[in-house]
Amino acid sequence: MVRSLLCAGALAVAALLPAGAIADETCNSPYTTKLIKGQEDFLHVWTLGIKGMGDGNDKLVTIDVNPASPGYGKVTSQVSLPGRGEAHHTGFTDDRRYLWAGRLDDNLIFIFDLVDPEKPKLIKTIDDFAAKTGFVGPHTFYALPGRMLVQALSNTKDHGGRTGLVLYNNQGDVVQTYDMPVGALGGGTGDGYGYDIGINPGKNVMLTSSFTGWNNYMMDLGKLVKDPEAMKYFGNTMAIWDVKSMKPTKVFDVPGAPLEIRWSLKDGDNWAVTATALTSKIWLVKQDAKGEWQAKDVATIGDPSKIPLPVDISISADGKGLWVNTFMDGTTRYFDMSNPEAPKEVYSKVTGKQVNMVSQSWDGKRVYITSSLLANWDKKGDDDEQVLRVYDWDGKELVEKLEVDFRALALGRAHHMKFSARPSGKTLAEAAGLTRVAAAR
Amino acid sequence: MTIVGTGPSRPLADLRARRWRLLAPVALLGSRLAEAAGDVAPAGRIAPDVSALPPPGSYELPRLFTAPDGEVLQPDGKPVSLRRVLDGRLSVVSFIYSYCRDPVGCPLAWQALDAVYRGFLADRDLARRAQLVTISFDPTNDTPEQMRLLAGPRLDDRRARWWYLTTASVPRLLPLLEGFGQDVSVEVDDQGRPTRTLNHLLKIFTVDAGRQVREIYSVATLTPEAIINDLRTLQGEGAGA
Repeated sequence: MVRSLLCAGALAVAALLPAGAIADETCNSPYTTKLIKGQEDFLHVWTLGIKGMGDGNDKLVTIDVNPASPGYGKVTSQVSLPGRGEAHHTGFTDDRRYLWAGRLDDNLIFIFDLVDPEKPKLIKTIDDFAAKTGFVGPHTFYALPGRMLVQALSNTKDHGGRTGLVLYNNQGDVVQTYDMPVGALGGGTGDGYGYDIGINPGKNVMLTSSFTGWNNYMMDLGKLVKDPEAMKYFGNTMAIWDVKSMKPTKVFDVPGAPLEIRWSLKDGDNWAVTATALTSKIWLVKQDAKGEWQAKDVATIGDPSKIPLPVDISISADGKGLWVNTFMDGTTRYFDMSNPEAPKEVYSKVTGKQVNMVSQSWDGKRVYITSSLLANWDKKGDDDEQVLRVYDWDGKELVEKLEVDFRALALGRAHHMKFSARPSGKTLAEAAGLTRVAAAR
Repeated sequence: MTIVGTGPSRPLADLRARRWRLLAPVALLGSRLAEAAGDVAPAGRIAPDVSALPPPGSYELPRLFTAPDGEVLQPDGKPVSLRRVLDGRLSVVSFIYSYCRDPVGCPLAWQALDAVYRGFLADRDLARRAQLVTISFDPTNDTPEQMRLLAGPRLDDRRARWWYLTTASVPRLLPLLEGFGQDVSVEVDDQGRPTRTLNHLLKIFTVDAGRQVREIYSVATLTPEAIINDLRTLQGEGAGA
């Protein structure tokens, strides 16, 4: 069905906009501590429930992914949440103790305690996101020191694409809201849309990108592509902000729904990339010779005429490579980023019937793929596979090491991924308890 | 806490040994500070570009949460409530422990705090409204006496106020850490026993005169310029009155 719809033309391209985003170890907020630079122990998969499958609810599924573990490949925990609300993205707090997970339809935000990462525990549900902020669709969860910045996708007034950012403290209280820029600013024109967040703290700048509102991301795909008016409402901008003041300073015209934002993590680098879903381009954001931030199209992803639909991207820790998943052809592509002004695709492999998220380990040796985009946008019938696949990467070839079939296990649609590791120390309280025991002896 | 048998109530059997125990961590921190001195960032950290910061007063700082209250100990051993310490002044609150070895942990924090202290000396108006508040992660080893040694002559410097505080016990400390959202864990040895090494996320807090936490700095953002700018911004809004 999806493929036939795509043949309908350009509108269909827009209709299949991805909704995947921040996922892997290299794309955590720069304020997130305890990066896992060796072997990760667990993978948390934010999973959409499917009616009639198991309890049908959304779930946080935790999988043992350490090959040295006797439980390798096994599900260690399923935390079932009430109903289905379009489970989408997650993000760690700065101390990596808690995982925030959002739902784009009912606006619920769940906070999980990962003190025992093998078995995450739900400790809080925020159920007044829309009421308190006027925004809809909590999408990106981006840690700042002691607080969480949440990028929304829509609003309560018209469920369109105008939206904003919400600053929470780590206790889950709303601190402040910020509207996305609208109108002329710094040479571009803001459309008020939002999608991803990427901060370069050393330069005191934040980049945001733009997607679409609730009206579109919750619409049935078949209906959406037949609605030319609806298809007009997708983002075509990025904005750069002063992080300290949280004020946008410039809007870039980046046509075709720029989505994921990744800053190079290499010391001294100050550039970021994004991929545009509709136009299949990689855009580079960096300073020019005068120190002015600029955005420019630097590469094409696949053959845009074949509608590859780039979705999630993952940058290597050294800034030299970029994984790009293209949803429609189920392909995972690797770009050489040695020259960020001219990225070059050097490898590709079909990794599924539909692929959305791609996450790599910090050392770049393992690559994780999941399948789901949005409940109403995933492919139909046999093409709607729901899996996690784990590959080893030796710089030349992806070699599959593990597959977890989310349908066979009655889990649901496999979406956003985050890694965690077993804690290596003790809490102060635990240590104090040991001291008391020792003293008593 | 982390070291069995070295709590404050332990009788002092050997004055020389005690003197060494007291001075060694301070000497270690001093050497780490020396390594971190100057404008050279410690390994693993590229110093933020301070020219990219907006000027003081051109922005607002959000009210993140209320600073916690609890009993702390001054270097003379006298207890005081943290609320009383913070009320009415702009404060730069930090948690450290005196023998921290992480170059992007306490020594980096200390380097920035030291520069802020010198900034106070250069701005008497700010110095009248602002203060530094340092609290130890380790009440067992960082006793009031240890904190006095750590402070040195700054403790009695009337030109700029720098509190050197500890707590009577881990149970007294934990609510403060939790209230500030300051994580810390204790490294364990091969046998799973706690060592003296504490792993913590570097955080420094700017707190206004009404005890609202207004900014939190991490390794990625910590510079003395950013702290001073924020204090002046708060000073301008009257939060430091």
